[in-house]
Amino acid sequence: MTTLLPHLVNGVSLGLLFALIALGFMLIVGVMETINLAHGSLFALGMYVALFLMAPRLGVFPELQAAYLALPVGTRYAIALFLAPIVVGIFGMALELCMRRTYGRDPLYGLLLTFGAALVIEELIRIVWGSNEKQLPLPEAVSGAVLIGDLIYSRYRFFAAGFACVLIVLLWLFIEKTPYGAIIKAGAHDSEMVRALGINLPRLRLFVFALGVGLAAIAGVVMAPIWGVRPQVGVDAVVPAFLIIVLGGVGSLWGAVIAGLMVGMVVGITGAYASEWSLLSMYLLFIVVVSFRARGLFGKKSVLDT
Amino acid sequence: MDESSNHARQRRQLLKASALSLAAGGLGAAPFFGPWKLNHAWAQAAGKKPLVIGLTMDASGQYAASGGEERLGAMMAIKEFNEKGGVLGRMIEAIHMDTETTPATGSRVAERMITRNEAAFLVGALHSGVANAISQVAQKYGCVYLNTNSSSPTEAGVNCHRVKFVWDGNGTNFSHAIVKNAMKVNGKNWLLLTNDYVWGHNTSKATRAIVEANGGRVMEELLVPQNTRDFASYLLKIQQIKPDVVAAAVGGDDVKSLRQQVVQMNLNNKPAWINNQQDWADVYGLGPDHIFGVFGTNWYYRLDLPGVKEFVAAYQKAYPGVAMKVPGNCYYNGYMATRELLRAVERAGSTNNLKVIRELEGLQVSAKDRMQHFDAYMSPTTHQMQQTIYMATYNDKPAEKDDIFKMLTQVPPQEVEDKEAAGACKLESYEATPSYEA
Repeated sequence: MTTLLPHLVNGVSLGLLFALIALGFMLIVGVMETINLAHGSLFALGMYVALFLMAPRLGVFPELQAAYLALPVGTRYAIALFLAPIVVGIFGMALELCMRRTYGRDPLYGLLLTFGAALVIEELIRIVWGSNEKQLPLPEAVSGAVLIGDLIYSRYRFFAAGFACVLIVLLWLFIEKTPYGAIIKAGAHDSEMVRALGINLPRLRLFVFALGVGLAAIAGVVMAPIWGVRPQVGVDAVVPAFLIIVLGGVGSLWGAVIAGLMVGMVVGITGAYASEWSLLSMYLLFIVVVSFRARGLFGKKSVLDT
Repeated sequence: MDESSNHARQRRQLLKASALSLAAGGLGAAPFFGPWKLNHAWAQAAGKKPLVIGLTMDASGQYAASGGEERLGAMMAIKEFNEKGGVLGRMIEAIHMDTETTPATGSRVAERMITRNEAAFLVGALHSGVANAISQVAQKYGCVYLNTNSSSPTEAGVNCHRVKFVWDGNGTNFSHAIVKNAMKVNGKNWLLLTNDYVWGHNTSKATRAIVEANGGRVMEELLVPQNTRDFASYLLKIQQIKPDVVAAAVGGDDVKSLRQQVVQMNLNNKPAWINNQQDWADVYGLGPDHIFGVFGTNWYYRLDLPGVKEFVAAYQKAYPGVAMKVPGNCYYNGYMATRELLRAVERAGSTNNLKVIRELEGLQVSAKDRMQHFDAYMSPTTHQMQQTIYMATYNDKPAEKDDIFKMLTQVPPQEVEDKEAAGACKLESYEATPSYEA
């Protein structure tokens, strides 16, 4: 058990991070029924915007820039964590405006548009920031390792997992306990009725899409010190995100969280005891669950189910 | 059918379609969506058909960064030849297609370049699986193929071909250069961290053989699937096993993530880390903490040798806007391979593939000409360039920002020779290799 315990701890933290990556994807799919294939690229964009916010190089206002750079790394990191999702969320709004022509049409239109957007965003990143590896500086307080008995574990991973927990709870509170959340859920359930009640549906969709994209960007900022910052990193995020939301049941917040934890545990444990299976294990888990429960763990029952 | 069933069916269609497009596309690595990049870089010589060279470098996937670097190297050699009138009076045209770090794409690209673009020669590889796939197609048509940067020992061993020439040092060469010394300094209990594909397996196999032959013990071998981004479980396992040395055969984007996470877990100082071969693109831009351990390379931009400064200056002049301000080993190999190919064509006085192959098989290059410490030569039995291998570590007293490697030692090719390769390599006969004139 003592040898297994570190891997269980690692599995939980990894699972929370997977859930964090999937949250924005889940929100957009669940509420808008749109698969946002640009999720991974927006995740990467979040990393790069944070990188910029940590050390802006504008070439103008040198005094202001110097004063900003003199701020402690922790302050700049907090600014990046707060502002990067807002900036990327605004970018997401522009993308949603482009997507409007695809609503009500064959879902392939939306898929193609977001797929194209993913390629464009990735290429934009290459043009603006270059293609080589970059590092997001971390505050001293969350850097380095923490010693718990014989276990040496990354302090940042504990921070990231804790942050993911807080964000999951905040999102749940927002969706379940506020009138805005009620409108979002109602919009997902019956958009025509919501419109009939006088709710501005296009504005609601714009907001939800921006929120989902902002969550992707936050996940990007949080994952940057773990996965590294490179233009193609989005591919590593979008595939597990897709798998997790289907595994958890489309549109289910807690489904995504539990599926993320399951994937994290499976990947973490197989990584330790059968390392060559570690990546494949998440797909095997997916096949097993979907074979027995096609709508995922917490997905709503379809009329096609007998 | 009521509204809810329509709703459910639509959702299923949507999920199916997106799953298919994710599977087929891999977002950015899509075989049909490109990017198929054509570089018609050079004007055609009046009246003479240009000589087409197909550049088969990865522009996406695990080795995208190094693939971009070696492409610049090949383009530089082509540019230099074109500036003096091409080769045999013909201008050289380069065509590049992304091999996507995927063997199946490598096969398809090679087939297309040879049959549709009439490429006379193919140049480029990072991933050994891709290189092997390309070389099988090349051998089928007799097309001379230069494996510039993929370094699985099998490339010049069991997977060798008459048309294929390997330009980088391989895993066995690097292991010979590094392992014995590391055992003396750091201890005899080793753990192997192995990228789960042909290069990783064969490199770790070579490391294991040398460790065991010298009285060491391999405590565990952990296989790392390609595209692994989270190494925490591996690092926890390493903490529990407590080896003296971790020998990593992990490359591309995977090793970038690994390096970051090793530092986060404070494992960069103990155990000792050996990275069989460290490509420049995979560490460029990383901070000092992240360039830990000892690693192998076959060239460095600050080697104190004649010609190196001019070579670096030419790179900076030709490519002022690139992210990497100085060339690395992949650029060097791309350049050297292409330059020697074009020289071989000149010496042969023909583009006939068999004549060019004979020229390359007898190739000897002086240390000065290669900007390395020892003379190099092409092995006629394995088609691998036998060359100087360097051991390096992080440079704690850099002369400039990019001076991140401290070269520890240089080993002549005879001391790091992969002796098993000659036994494993069975080159096809000349008669069995199709002949062509480009």
